[in-house]
Amino acid sequence: MNYIELLDKQPDLVTPGTSACQGCPAELSLRSTLKVLGENTIMCIPPGCMAGAGCVGWNFDSGLKVPVHITLLDNTAAVLTGIKKSYEADGRDVTVASFAGDGATSDCGFQSLSAAAERGENVIYICYDNEGYMNTGFQRSGSTTKGSMTTTTPVGEVGKGKEQQKKDLPLIMAMHNPAYLATLSPSHMSDFVKKVEKAKSIKDGFVYLHIFSPCPTGWGFDGAKSIEVARKAVETNLFPLYEIDHGEYKFTVQNKNPKPVSELFGMMKKFRHVSEQGIQEVQNYVDKKYKILQSLVG
Amino acid sequence: MARDFITPKGDEGIYHIDTASWRTYKPVMNKDICIECGICLTYCPVNSIHKQNDQYIIDLSFCKGCGICANECPKKAIDMVLEGEK
Repeated sequence: MNYIELLDKQPDLVTPGTSACQGCPAELSLRSTLKVLGENTIMCIPPGCMAGAGCVGWNFDSGLKVPVHITLLDNTAAVLTGIKKSYEADGRDVTVASFAGDGATSDCGFQSLSAAAERGENVIYICYDNEGYMNTGFQRSGSTTKGSMTTTTPVGEVGKGKEQQKKDLPLIMAMHNPAYLATLSPSHMSDFVKKVEKAKSIKDGFVYLHIFSPCPTGWGFDGAKSIEVARKAVETNLFPLYEIDHGEYKFTVQNKNPKPVSELFGMMKKFRHVSEQGIQEVQNYVDKKYKILQSLVG
Repeated sequence: MARDFITPKGDEGIYHIDTASWRTYKPVMNKDICIECGICLTYCPVNSIHKQNDQYIIDLSFCKGCGICANECPKKAIDMVLEGEK
């Protein structure tokens, strides 16, 4: 079965009408992920866009057709661990997965995530990275790209957007030696489905998946372009697609002629104030990160 | 103690809102140009596109009208038409 048939035939386990914005790739990612993970899954969704959009339910109704918990921002990985241990004690094999935003992963929830990865718990931690706290109106997070306008790093006479570079969370998690780690983009759906299938099959350790998820509302582009933006981020190496299977690094999408990041910056409003020098700084950072990855792949 | 139930299935007890009412433009598929590649199905965030009798159809009951399908279609077989027009 190829991936298109799989996405067509598998039952959709998310409520049909969520209040995610028009063209939200995080909603697409959640649906596709759950189609692959299947019904034997328990989800944990901390506060964030997907929880706010009604995927954890509202007024005693559930938002997913599998059990779903709304955890705290800072204990998602700990809750995953507890659920998994409880089912192991019952002798039942269930997939336990989270779907957390980048704020709940790289900032608030990092200590419990790092601890769970270090203990090697057999859970799947999925992070969708929309580069900010989008649910509450685009505040800056550790995962926001340098130069980006956010509501807590406004652009004016003094402020010039975020001053720090993006925290490279997948590489930080790679140094925890998880059983499986991958970066995913909704624009490369065949690769996406393959990686989630592999994550589901891992039974001997921690799994971390990092999904790039452009936000039409916050970043300032038309919702119809969200897949195009995600694809451009892969093509410019701002978000390279790779996987680490038990310590084996591998690029899953080869990028022979990377495009300049200025092409991505031109597509959205959050970067429109960024100067040539600002773009060059991000380009240098992206190139440096890619070199590190290349040396790890070997 | 092991329990048997896993999940509430079906539509009962499932929260949903009428997202079709958000729509300004609706997608209309031109069956003559469509090459049935399935790209629109993989990228629809609302899961509104399905394969039925070897043809892809767009179910408008929850479609938010985002336009991703029209933008990603390699043959440009999907047009976004203003709601209310033919």
